[in-house]
Amino acid sequence: MKTPNDKLDPHTWLNEHGSYLYSYALLKVKNKHTAEDLVQETLLAALAAKSSFSYQSTIRTWLVGILKHKLVDHYRKQRRMIAFEDLTNEEDNFLDNYFTANSRWIDKPEVFQNPESAFQQQEFWKVLQECLSGLNSRQAEIFLAKEIYGMSNDEICKCFSLTPTNGWVILHRARLALIKCLKKNWTD
Amino acid sequence: MLNCKKASQLASRAMDEKLPFWKNLTFKFHLLLCRNCKNFTDQLEFLREASRRLTVSKEFELSAEAKHRIINKLLEN
Repeated sequence: MKTPNDKLDPHTWLNEHGSYLYSYALLKVKNKHTAEDLVQETLLAALAAKSSFSYQSTIRTWLVGILKHKLVDHYRKQRRMIAFEDLTNEEDNFLDNYFTANSRWIDKPEVFQNPESAFQQQEFWKVLQECLSGLNSRQAEIFLAKEIYGMSNDEICKCFSLTPTNGWVILHRARLALIKCLKKNWTD
Repeated sequence: MLNCKKASQLASRAMDEKLPFWKNLTFKFHLLLCRNCKNFTDQLEFLREASRRLTVSKEFELSAEAKHRIINKLLEN
């Protein structure tokens, strides 16, 4: 029987959103098998809770919401506390890592010499992935939403309940941190 | 005159949206005079390109085996 609920088919979920959920989980747990298990648990939970899906959100947002709960469970099991909102206190000091008291660059930015050759090397992708894992979870989520999943600033602000200014601030910081990390760990 | 800290904020913002007219003007003027910030804008472009290609790198794909396993699990339920 074909209904509008066709969209609620787990096979489709896996094919359309599986890799998204996986990359999301992988950035948090840094372990392939754990990340795969989390995707599986998420889809099982989604299947069980199918009727609670509300058409006000997209399937992907809904699935990510479930994955987030699974991540929290996972960390709880590991008796590790995860701070989902850990960007409050060190906010003001963050830019001091990059700029002098009179607002000049501490490390002068240098361009990456050979982008194409970097992109050819598996090692580069490993480094980039590790750098992404080094971001705090909120920065990573927002950066990924922006650069990998192509959300607009408006969508990001709505989705993460941010003011536009906070959105710019977070993206700016994520980018500074990633560039610093790449420069440190990748020699081009 | 814009300083580098502010210019770097505008450089990041300019990746995502059109800057307001005057901000854009002072920013572009700063870039003409400041090699460091010009380099930072190049780094931002590099980071964007790298991020966009990241998803096609194998590291971020759910493997066929994993998909298969998950489908089987889902069918059991």
